[in-house]
Amino acid sequence: MQRRLGRFWNMQSMRYTIIMPVGLVSKNCTGVLELEKMSAPKRNFQIGPLKRQIVMDPNYADKTWKILEEGIHEIYNCNISGLSFEELYRNAYNMVLHKFGEKLYSGLVTTMTHHLEVISKSIEAAQGGLFLEELNRKWADHNKALQMIRDILMYMDRTFIPSTHKTPVHELGLNLWRDNIIHSAKIQTRLQDTLLDLVLRERTGEVINRGLMRNVIKMLMDLGSSVYQDDFEKHFLEVSADFYRAESQQFIECCDCGEYLKKAERRLNEEMERVSHYLDAKSEAKITSVVEKEMVESHMQRLVHMENSGLINMLVDDKYEDLGRMYSLFRRVPNGLFIIRDVMTSHIRSTGKQLVTDPERLKDPVDFVQRLLDEKDKNDKIINLAFNNDKTFQNALNSSFEYFINLNSRSPEFISLFVDDKLRKGLKGVSEEDVEIVLDKVMMLFRYLQEKDVFEKYYKQHLAKRLLSGKTVSDDAERSLIVKLKTECGYQFTSKLEGMFTDMKTSEDTMQGFYASSFAETGDGPTLAVQVLTTGSWPTQPSATCNLPAEILGVCEKFRGYYLGTHTGRRLSWQTNMGTADLKATFGRGQKHELNVSTHQMCALMLFNNADRLSYKEIEQATEIPASDLKRCLQSMACVKGKNILRKEPMSKDIAEDDAFFVNDKFSSKFYKVKIGTVVAQRESEPENQETRQRVEEDRKPQIEAAIVRIMKSRRVLDHNNIVAEVTKQLQSRFLPSPVLIKKRIESLIEREFLERDKVDRKLYRYLA
Amino acid sequence: MRRSSTRKTGQSNSAASVNSSATDLFRSASSKATSKELERIDQLFYSYANRSSNLIDPEGIEVLCSDVEVDHTDVRILMLAWKMKAEKQGYFTLEEWRRGLKALRTDTVSKLKKALPELEKEVRRPSNFVDFYSYAFQYCLTEEKQKSIDIESICELLDLVLGSQFQAQVDSFVEYLKTQNDYKVINMDQWMGFFRFCNEISFPDLRNYDPELAWPLILDNFVEWRRAKHS
Repeated sequence: MQRRLGRFWNMQSMRYTIIMPVGLVSKNCTGVLELEKMSAPKRNFQIGPLKRQIVMDPNYADKTWKILEEGIHEIYNCNISGLSFEELYRNAYNMVLHKFGEKLYSGLVTTMTHHLEVISKSIEAAQGGLFLEELNRKWADHNKALQMIRDILMYMDRTFIPSTHKTPVHELGLNLWRDNIIHSAKIQTRLQDTLLDLVLRERTGEVINRGLMRNVIKMLMDLGSSVYQDDFEKHFLEVSADFYRAESQQFIECCDCGEYLKKAERRLNEEMERVSHYLDAKSEAKITSVVEKEMVESHMQRLVHMENSGLINMLVDDKYEDLGRMYSLFRRVPNGLFIIRDVMTSHIRSTGKQLVTDPERLKDPVDFVQRLLDEKDKNDKIINLAFNNDKTFQNALNSSFEYFINLNSRSPEFISLFVDDKLRKGLKGVSEEDVEIVLDKVMMLFRYLQEKDVFEKYYKQHLAKRLLSGKTVSDDAERSLIVKLKTECGYQFTSKLEGMFTDMKTSEDTMQGFYASSFAETGDGPTLAVQVLTTGSWPTQPSATCNLPAEILGVCEKFRGYYLGTHTGRRLSWQTNMGTADLKATFGRGQKHELNVSTHQMCALMLFNNADRLSYKEIEQATEIPASDLKRCLQSMACVKGKNILRKEPMSKDIAEDDAFFVNDKFSSKFYKVKIGTVVAQRESEPENQETRQRVEEDRKPQIEAAIVRIMKSRRVLDHNNIVAEVTKQLQSRFLPSPVLIKKRIESLIEREFLERDKVDRKLYRYLA
Repeated sequence: MRRSSTRKTGQSNSAASVNSSATDLFRSASSKATSKELERIDQLFYSYANRSSNLIDPEGIEVLCSDVEVDHTDVRILMLAWKMKAEKQGYFTLEEWRRGLKALRTDTVSKLKKALPELEKEVRRPSNFVDFYSYAFQYCLTEEKQKSIDIESICELLDLVLGSQFQAQVDSFVEYLKTQNDYKVINMDQWMGFFRFCNEISFPDLRNYDPELAWPLILDNFVEWRRAKHS
């Protein structure tokens, strides 16, 4: 059966049946063994060379080749219907078999080259847009032809070519195409220019024939990656770089930062899409890095610092989308995120610094802290929404906060006042979850503090006031905060605070016991409520002199008797500067009020039960309250609108020795119960602040020394730098000791012979047991 | 020799010295000094000593100084005290006197005077000077539990002891001490620290001074003060 070449040709599913050629030789069969005449039975057979020579048709090769040549020609002319695959295959086979492979091969090369030259001319002749189409069409034709040719010459491909290390047919066809078409002088440049021109047009908004582009690009890829790269990709990248360089320059002149970033992002996406549609996937990384470099990297500084629209403006105005875009674009280039982070950090630091050093802000501690919290929230949100929760940004934010919060030495005090305000009234009616949120935020600020021991001091003071005045919104909230502080700083930090709570509870029980006992008289004496505070747990207050009224003294002594009866070996001292009293008062026009006052105020007021007029001096003598306290307490009763239960002559705010005080018979208030005493925690005055700070400094000395001794005891010998480092590490949860301070304490310890300097190596210290 | 030593022993017994056992020790320990020399040393002692206390007191020292033609504030007297290992400032005991003069191999005033330059050379030898320097501080501690010396005295002492060797450093440090307010006294640690400073730190540029090391704080402050002054 002879197969016919035609439309149904499909290499893959072809099955070949080779019919042994019969009419190959003109004369006898070749290679057929011929038995010579048989001689005597014992004679051996010998196989010898054929005695008769095979004589080939001398023109055999030429004739055969001619057939094939003609066949190739027809294939190229798309005239395949009259061809017989079988015949052509057979001819090629025979040529190879008869050692005419070389002629076949070289003939192939010549023929194909010739055809390609013709094709080349036709492509060159194409005008304008048709150039690419013609090229594409001819390429398709060539491939088809090549396929067929390869099939016909398969025997040669499998035998002759490998043994002679020649280029296989298919590859040969591609190479010839490449050399004769693509690299032909008249086509090469034109092809490049055409392709690049189309890209340019597409970039400027025109619609181009993507399918055609894809095919042509694929052709280049098929011809080899070096062809794709050298003939197209290299130039593509160069031209693109120029294009984007120019465009970015233009944009940056006329756009603001946000707009520019949008454009850059758009271009980037465009290029990626372009690659996916008609370029080699490997080009994606290369072209995107061109865009990144030209549009982003070259202009990073200018974008970030652009006036009115740059990074800082975006941060201030919470432009999440723009910031997110900047983040994802800058992320792609080296140092991009570094620049963002750097500018953001210095912005936060300077804003923060302004916040904490602004004298106006410092007048209201609660507002001060609230602003800090707001600033943190704002930045957290930005990092969350726009910066992908990037940890390096979180760290930069934390270090900035730590930096500026500690610029103001009163930050610890203010944070404690903020907490005080919340626990006193701010958290009233707030759900448990929300309370936790607020407390956690406070803890976050607390962590930034370097001087945690200062915070502890103030917190203790404020807590004491809250507990003693009974003015805490929620016991649970108080305890929750203590637990958080304990988790953060250890048991040492909170043991005294917990002691304060314990004292309050114990006092309750003590009072019950007192009133149940025989010590308490039922009568119309004053009712006493005592809180017994363990010294050491509570903030130390120097107890001042104060003469209590007789009635009070009486009941106080009864309590003392009861208490010391059950607790021998203890000493009680009345803290008159911390107490309160409720007085029932009747004024001139019969109006009755219940006054809630401090103990000192009560002592002063009780004097007026026995006198109508008293001078300041007289009050001072009678009560023996220290001058500054007494003046303050009288002022709060005589000079404050709405609380003026006393009248002063003269009416001035200052109190002089001879000023006279009277009960203000005209006093009125719409409330029955009037609160006069102020035991609320307040921002310290400057001198008070100095005093507290001094106390803190004094407290630190033994702590540093204890740390030094601890370290030296275990190490025995240690050099200076290491001591400083170890001490700092040990104390860092409380405060940051300066190296100078540590050195001072070391020298003090040397003087007291706890340590000595090593005699030989002066950098070392030795522990003296 | 033996006969003469017996004679000497006999003689010393009749000398009726109060601390004869000490004298014996003294005699037995010394191998180089002759008995005549020892006698002369003692005699010299008594010529300056206060009759009632049997010590050479400040007055006596002043006389001694004029005899050897050295001012009583001269450093060589301090060096002599060091050689004697004298304990109390302004006073020499017999034992100390003997110790010092025997070691100097002098028994007359003129020999003592001649010995002073040698003594100075000996003290200034690096191996001895540290000891002398530290001795100088301790010598000035007059009270029993005293550990520091007031600034005024320190300034004088510094000049006396280190003035010739490190004049520039001493002058500058003294100026600092007089102008600062942080320290009213100097202790031994700081005193020794300054000597180290003079030996190790290049002056006046203070190039190799590192406040991060274990220098006494007062020297850190001194360096800072100098740098501020000269910037």
